[in-house]
Amino acid sequence: MSKRYIFLAVLLIGSAFGLTQLPEKPNKKQIPPDELLIKIYDQARYLTTREIAKRIIDRDPSIFLVDVRTPSEYEEYAIPGAFNIPLENILDDQWRDYLNQDGVDVIFYSNGTIYADQAWDLIAQRGIKNLYIMKGGLNEWFATIIKPVAPDETAPSEAFDQYAFEKAASIYFGGSSAGVDAAAPAEKKEVVVRKKKKKAAEGGC
Amino acid sequence: MGPLTYFGEISTEWNYVIALFIGMAFGYIMEASGFSSSRKLIGVFYGYDFAVIRVFFTATLVAIIGLLYMGYFGWIDYSVLFVHPTFVASAAIGGVIMGLGFIMGGFCPGTSLCAVAIGKLDGWVFTIALFVGIFLYSQVFPWIEPLYNAGDMGHIKITEYFGISQGWFAFGFAVVAVAVFFITTLIRRKVKDVRY
Repeated sequence: MSKRYIFLAVLLIGSAFGLTQLPEKPNKKQIPPDELLIKIYDQARYLTTREIAKRIIDRDPSIFLVDVRTPSEYEEYAIPGAFNIPLENILDDQWRDYLNQDGVDVIFYSNGTIYADQAWDLIAQRGIKNLYIMKGGLNEWFATIIKPVAPDETAPSEAFDQYAFEKAASIYFGGSSAGVDAAAPAEKKEVVVRKKKKKAAEGGC
Repeated sequence: MGPLTYFGEISTEWNYVIALFIGMAFGYIMEASGFSSSRKLIGVFYGYDFAVIRVFFTATLVAIIGLLYMGYFGWIDYSVLFVHPTFVASAAIGGVIMGLGFIMGGFCPGTSLCAVAIGKLDGWVFTIALFVGIFLYSQVFPWIEPLYNAGDMGHIKITEYFGISQGWFAFGFAVVAVAVFFITTLIRRKVKDVRY
């Protein structure tokens, strides 16, 4: 056996062994800041409380509501079906798959808009597309869905249509119109998260 | 076949031009290393020439090691690499048919075209028969479609299926490959009667 073959064999096995010794590299893929900036300017990431309420009432399976407030606040009141991931833990690896689901819109909300927006900023850096924010947060949720205010008599008819929907939604979500205490604890939903399937790239032989 | 780049740095037309040159280089090297001879190709089945098996193992091993290192250093994003879907049952049956055809015909599809290019008569016969086979296959396809799709496992990799690390898989593969090189050398030495 010639020296050349021995050298090649050692080289191959050696370099393959080197692969096993490489330290684990965490998958911290992030999009460049300029791309993120464009995403931040895109107002389409805001959903109104009415849109979200409608999708919950319709039992839309493609939404995943994330409550970024503290667990104690979440216990006190949460939108039905919402899942609690406090903002301080939002980057934990255990939530990685929850926040990155194909075909599921992940919607962040907090009391206002700011915390949800911060959660969005952090997660959007991973290049995930279907991330949204509930505009106005729970304050807006209470003002529109739980305790809707009747429009002025001179308001356009759309406002009345909207009010009709809000009143109906209010009954659905156990708001004042149904005569139920607004702060009734929401049913918490068990979330089944499927591992993200790899998309096949185009092409092949 | 996919484009070389995804973001249009290379236009479609140039993709074809580059593909042409890669194909020419491939064919040239294949012919230059004697792969247009069916005697050389089927030597692996009779134990007097192991060039085929060595080439496949070497190519696979170099590709594995290269891809994994380049992926690790971030030069390649192998999440965009195409992984062929695995159809276990049809792959097994197709593999048997392919192997039988390989022994009987003495070529695989690529090398038969190589033989055609240098004007080998057996290469021509093989290639014509190959197209007849493709035609017949397309005619009976509705009947064998269930077999065609049998055992679909999707786009899955061995390392994902068995849950082993890619590095250790590459290492195991390297050890096996070197063992194969060594064993085939031993067998080759024992064979005296080589008829090319």
